[in-house]
Amino acid sequence: MRLLIVEDDAPLASGLRRILEAEGHAVDVTSRGEQAVLAAAQERFDLVILDIGLPQMDGFEVLRRLRTTAVDKGGPMPVLVLTARDAVDDRVHGLDLGADDYMVKPFAMPELTARVRALLRRSQAHGGPRIVHGPLALDTVARRAFLKNEPLELAAREWAVLEVLLGKVEKIVSKEAIIQAVAGWGDDLSPNAIEVYVSRLRSKLEPAGIKIRTVRGFGYMLEEFKGA
Amino acid sequence: MAARSLRAHLLRMLLPPIAALLVLGGLVAYYPTIEPATAAYDQGLIDVGISLGTYIRPADAGYRLELPAAVDQVLRRDSYDTVYYRVLGPKGEGIAGDEGLPEPSGAVVDAVVAYDASYKGQKVRAVALPAQCGAAACRVLVAETTVKRKRLARDILFSTLLPEMLIAFATVLIVWFGVKRGLGPLARLSEEIKARSPGDLRPIDPAGTPEETRPLVSALNGLLEEVSQSSRSQQRFLANAAHQLRTPLAGLRAHTELALAQPLPTEVRAELEQVHQATIRTARLANQLLALARAEPGARGNAAELNLKTLAESDADAWVHQALARDIDLGFELDWAPVQGDAFLLREALANLVHNAIEYSHRGGRVTVRTGERGAHAFAEVEDDGPGIPEAERERVLERFYRIPGTAGTGSGLGLAIVREIAAGHGATISITDATGAKGCRVAITFPHG
Repeated sequence: MRLLIVEDDAPLASGLRRILEAEGHAVDVTSRGEQAVLAAAQERFDLVILDIGLPQMDGFEVLRRLRTTAVDKGGPMPVLVLTARDAVDDRVHGLDLGADDYMVKPFAMPELTARVRALLRRSQAHGGPRIVHGPLALDTVARRAFLKNEPLELAAREWAVLEVLLGKVEKIVSKEAIIQAVAGWGDDLSPNAIEVYVSRLRSKLEPAGIKIRTVRGFGYMLEEFKGA
Repeated sequence: MAARSLRAHLLRMLLPPIAALLVLGGLVAYYPTIEPATAAYDQGLIDVGISLGTYIRPADAGYRLELPAAVDQVLRRDSYDTVYYRVLGPKGEGIAGDEGLPEPSGAVVDAVVAYDASYKGQKVRAVALPAQCGAAACRVLVAETTVKRKRLARDILFSTLLPEMLIAFATVLIVWFGVKRGLGPLARLSEEIKARSPGDLRPIDPAGTPEETRPLVSALNGLLEEVSQSSRSQQRFLANAAHQLRTPLAGLRAHTELALAQPLPTEVRAELEQVHQATIRTARLANQLLALARAEPGARGNAAELNLKTLAESDADAWVHQALARDIDLGFELDWAPVQGDAFLLREALANLVHNAIEYSHRGGRVTVRTGERGAHAFAEVEDDGPGIPEAERERVLERFYRIPGTAGTGSGLGLAIVREIAAGHGATISITDATGAKGCRVAITFPHG
């Protein structure tokens, strides 16, 4: 994947570059917002990691220009915003300007790489019909699932719940959110029913090392795949 | 220096001139009144003398007074005073009347003289006047006691002094109550200032304060403005410093984590782990300082209608990851809990409670975050099944930089102090109680009604 890092702090920029290169991405780095806007106008990046506190043209302005003037080739470029400001800053928190995710400095590298993976997966999902999570692959067009390349039988509601969880890896998805996402299936769903689907999914996926964690009183979280 | 009473001071300044005015006013009113009155009484005596003079008749060896008893009675008649008279012959010899009635001093015999004298042990007012004795001049002395004159003097004094005394008394009363009334606006001003919360540095509204206190109000407002400016600049500095720290810390963390991802000799790895932990703690401290700066009185101003449930939900991700790192079962019991407050501060308060619970619980422990309403009070609380906080330490753990002696973990001792300040800033209270289970503790923030 092609990534652009816009960060004026050299040590942080080099650290991010090395971490993301180690993940197998091609990474470009710039310290200037103007250059980022130019670069994004000329070629497509699969993800832009954008610091807000840039000299001269700040990250908000860069983001605004990316969203209004950048040539979108094959869907919008996902943007992960980095900020030394507080999450309380509504512009960041609300992601009004069209950022796809944000992280407050300093952050843990595993969290960053997890978010990057999630964003890349999401942008791929926009483009392609395949969702991949470790040994699990979902063909959303043919509505067929594969685990370790073997076909996996999923009931319709199990499929729906899994799709919701796959859209937010490493993030808690509340039971209400799952119910809402699955509500299109007609009749009322109780939180207990969701528990049943999740436990069925677990019994099918856990042997392959895919973990769905219960967050007591809240919901579920599909963990990053760390190997079987 | 003892506080000086403005009232006493005013009275001290006013009373001597008032007393002087009283005396002067008395004198000024008394003399112009008493003079003509005295003259009128003197004239009465003179008239008696003139009448007496007409009864002087020539006799064998000089003159005598042929005064009928009825006339004598009429002349001596007076409602208050005893009237005395004496008629002297041309050579000064007594012809008739009261023996020993003193003559005026001075040699002039042929003029009318009024004078004060003493007769029969009493003060008398007397007149001496010449009377015709044929070709020669006789002298008539008429005197009366001073009862009605004294009475007149007393009446005059009373009638002039009484109103003046009343005026003086009224002045004292006016000063006494006038000062109280006049200082009323100051008292209201000080009430208004007293009623303020410590963080309220808004200027005082000069409307409704009297002209005379405007300089005081504007001086106070100037001071308030300076204090709030300096408080703001201090907060800006702290906030900037904390923000500025974050980027290099992010770099430091990135590189230590990169290094830790590589194969390393055991000792180097252990050292690097220490650096990594220190980096994380420093970042947390920067956040806490930022929160403290924000929680300072005067910094607030972001109050909004919030729901503690939503706040907890929005940060649940980060907390769950912290909890997973320590193998702790973090659970939620979130109910609707509407409050008025600053989102950043309340999230920081919750984060500190959750962080503490996770930090001080044993691995595999259980931490529960609750929000909701008890009665009409919204609350947020975090309960753990860790070692708990001994009763005796519950006050002290709320102090800045205090850590229970012998506690493991790497906290700064700021967490609960921050929670307390944030709670106080929202009019909320923080309470530490035993957990519902066998061990652990529960820290709750309870918000004011509505």
